[in-house]
Amino acid sequence: MSDSVELVVLGSGPGGYTAAFRAADLGKKVVLVERYENIGGVCLNVGCIPSKALLHAAKVLDEAAELNACGIEFGKPNIDVAKLAAWKNKVVSKLTGGLKMLAKPRKVEIVQGVATFKSAHEIEVDNGTEKRVIKFENAIIAAGSRPVKLPFLPDDARIMDSTGALALNDVKGKLLVLGGGIIGLEMATVYHALGMEVTVVEMMDQLIAGCDKDIVAPLFKRVQKRYKSILLKTKVTKVEAKDDGLYVTFEGEGAPEQPERFDKILSSVGRRPNGDSIGAEKAGVKVDERGFIPVDKQMRTNVSHIFAIGDIVGNPMLAHKAIPEGRVAAEVIAGKKHYFEPAAIPSVAYTDPEIAWVGVTENEAKAKGMKYGKGVFPWAASGRSLSMNRDEGLTKILVDEATNRVIGAGIVGPNAGELIAEITLAIEMGCDVEDLALTIHPHPTLSETVAMSAEVFEGTITDLYMPKKKA
Amino acid sequence: MATQKINAPDLGGAADVDVIEVLVKVGDKIALDTPLLTLESDKATMEVPSSDVGVVKEVLVNVGDKISTGSPILVIESEAQTVAEKAAPADEKKPVSPDVSPKSSTTAQPAEKPAEKKPEKTTPQDNGTIHAGPAVRRIAREFGVNLEEVKSTGPKSRILKEDIQAYVKEKISNANGAQSGNIGLPSAPSVDFAKFGEIEKQNLSRIKKLSGKNLHRNWLLVPHVTQFGEADISEMEQFRGAQKEKLDKQGVKLTPLVFIMKAVVAALKAFPQFNASLDASGEQLILKKYFHIGVAVDTPDGLVVPVVRDVDQKGLQQLAKELSALSEKARLKQLTANDMQGGCFSISSLGGIGGTAFTPIVNVPEVAILGVSKASIKPVFEGDAFVPKLMLPLSLSYDHRVIDGADGARFMVTLCGLLSDIRNLLL
Repeated sequence: MSDSVELVVLGSGPGGYTAAFRAADLGKKVVLVERYENIGGVCLNVGCIPSKALLHAAKVLDEAAELNACGIEFGKPNIDVAKLAAWKNKVVSKLTGGLKMLAKPRKVEIVQGVATFKSAHEIEVDNGTEKRVIKFENAIIAAGSRPVKLPFLPDDARIMDSTGALALNDVKGKLLVLGGGIIGLEMATVYHALGMEVTVVEMMDQLIAGCDKDIVAPLFKRVQKRYKSILLKTKVTKVEAKDDGLYVTFEGEGAPEQPERFDKILSSVGRRPNGDSIGAEKAGVKVDERGFIPVDKQMRTNVSHIFAIGDIVGNPMLAHKAIPEGRVAAEVIAGKKHYFEPAAIPSVAYTDPEIAWVGVTENEAKAKGMKYGKGVFPWAASGRSLSMNRDEGLTKILVDEATNRVIGAGIVGPNAGELIAEITLAIEMGCDVEDLALTIHPHPTLSETVAMSAEVFEGTITDLYMPKKKA
Repeated sequence: MATQKINAPDLGGAADVDVIEVLVKVGDKIALDTPLLTLESDKATMEVPSSDVGVVKEVLVNVGDKISTGSPILVIESEAQTVAEKAAPADEKKPVSPDVSPKSSTTAQPAEKPAEKKPEKTTPQDNGTIHAGPAVRRIAREFGVNLEEVKSTGPKSRILKEDIQAYVKEKISNANGAQSGNIGLPSAPSVDFAKFGEIEKQNLSRIKKLSGKNLHRNWLLVPHVTQFGEADISEMEQFRGAQKEKLDKQGVKLTPLVFIMKAVVAALKAFPQFNASLDASGEQLILKKYFHIGVAVDTPDGLVVPVVRDVDQKGLQQLAKELSALSEKARLKQLTANDMQGGCFSISSLGGIGGTAFTPIVNVPEVAILGVSKASIKPVFEGDAFVPKLMLPLSLSYDHRVIDGADGARFMVTLCGLLSDIRNLLL
């Protein structure tokens, strides 16, 4: 075990391990520090991956129930929550185990413990029993973020954050989801499918703030019918923990007059960066008041040999942003002149229906006074969507009026997250909207809706009747 | 034995000077004035002598580094009291030497920190308007290409990888052309001289390479005209001879060059367009109100041109002293960039060697240069008979963009007049 290395990576999430592996492949001697026993960070252990496993189960449950309408009736499902959780954990350990196998041939040394900077060239790793100082030439801070804790929530086992929710300890009774963002709505989908009665409370006037309202609307319509209630423009002011439940007081537009009783609360009101907990000041690395570490386009902090990537450098807090950032940091350290400057980063909510958007949203275009046009294709006219017994989807494409270039898109419907990738590529390549319309899409697929939304914009669509055609 | 840091001496205001040679290594014993580094500024190369005595413990600069006045060069273990220490007590010295730690220094970076690179300068690029995919944007970044300058050939004017390659290729071939001075000129053929007999290859000295580039540029840039003339210096030499013995005793070497410098200054005052430079746009003449004269000095490594400042305000004796000090410095390679800056007019004297006339090249941004050849006694027809006179051949090259032929001749006549009767210098 050497205590002086070329590169130390703090945190083994998708950004951190990507950076470590890439740097190792470029010839660097790398130590990857992870506080937990399993590498992979939030995403693999308590985030994207386990939630997707549970969402898959939820989807099958829902689809089976919906097949009633098609003349196929299953009996009431028998849900063994412990078995489901074990299966989910198996998926996770398969991936994290796989990561360790990927680290080995690269000679990336994984050190378990909590890392804090001692100086601009040293970190101390504390694994609870001993402290070890590692000297480094370069460091990449990939220490991620943690769920925001609301100060008024009592300390009670029935109140969980996203990590607790994924553990699937108890799935009976009434669930209150605090925060109608992506994480809250995904977990609401799972818990509802497993049989809980779900209430969602959100301070803003729509679910998934940041996405256009017309894209969120089909999701809202669907969950409104399924969940007990969705309280918009409402906030929780008090939670009282009693033996028979959690009594919640609301305030705002949708607030019930009396405190309501819940069996469980999921707090999913956002995440905050971990910039405050790595001793950055000892290395001279600047951390802003919110806990973010400012970086340049090469992911370099104010200290030129220390880099930072992922959630800790700013929004959006997404694994698919952290991964390319990690690559850039590793490559810059290895002497390459690379920059992180994507044209667009997509966002996806794996709810049912899925919601995905990329580039400029309509809200943003309006706020900035941009001159844009749009093409919206309703999936009610998509044979593939109807044959899936779904008709609420929409594909919306935004186009720069001056150049006819694709600048953004929003999609809602099953598999929206897969469809958004094509438009992300279109934005990166500077495609005209016509390029999308002229690209042959396989029939019948949901991907056709991308080409059709372009045709709607062009006025050349034949799968709909548009009274006013352009040409 | 204490360790001491040796910092770069006053480099004459020059900053970021390239280190082209490190002449000592760890363990070397160095004495006062032992050459430590060779630096190359835009004017010349110079050696940095040691200001201390001791054994080298650590070398803080590498070939290719850029250093400025005060940059740390070496850490030495001093063995004896040094000149500097005699002047000031040892404990007072520490705060005097600027404590620039190698880590924070921007100019001198020690070798063991290769990864502490300065952030790349970001080329301004607007992803919103440029039509180029991510792979093309990356290759543009790698070559530092501003995509706004690249001609696009892809569908719908998309910039392709080939477009970047073409752009870089074009830039390189342009740069090569400019570097070798081939502004569209054919290059000399490469000849295998060994075919014709025995040959030996020798590297040009640093100074030769450097001055060669400048001379070539000046030769191509400036339309040269050379005006010849002859000055009767019989009386001047008589006067100089009379003073010589006395001044020699004082250690002052009164050369004809000192008189020529004074005469040139008087001529420059009469013709201010000779004490001028053309501005970069070529639209304006910058007239100078000071009189700094460059004097070409022949050194074993090549030609250097130190500058004597404010010649108009100095007496013959003082000029003589300064001139010999500068020549000595030049021969010891100790001239700083400062010593070679700010000249208004240059004098190149080959009088000590021989020859009748030559055509010197103007030292841009100056507009004229005086060549001095060897004086000889010639018969001059005076009144009704030939009289033997000591005649000094002069060659004045000037930039014809600034100076007309008539003015060139007038300057020469004035200069000759001043030299033939040095009493005129008093007027």
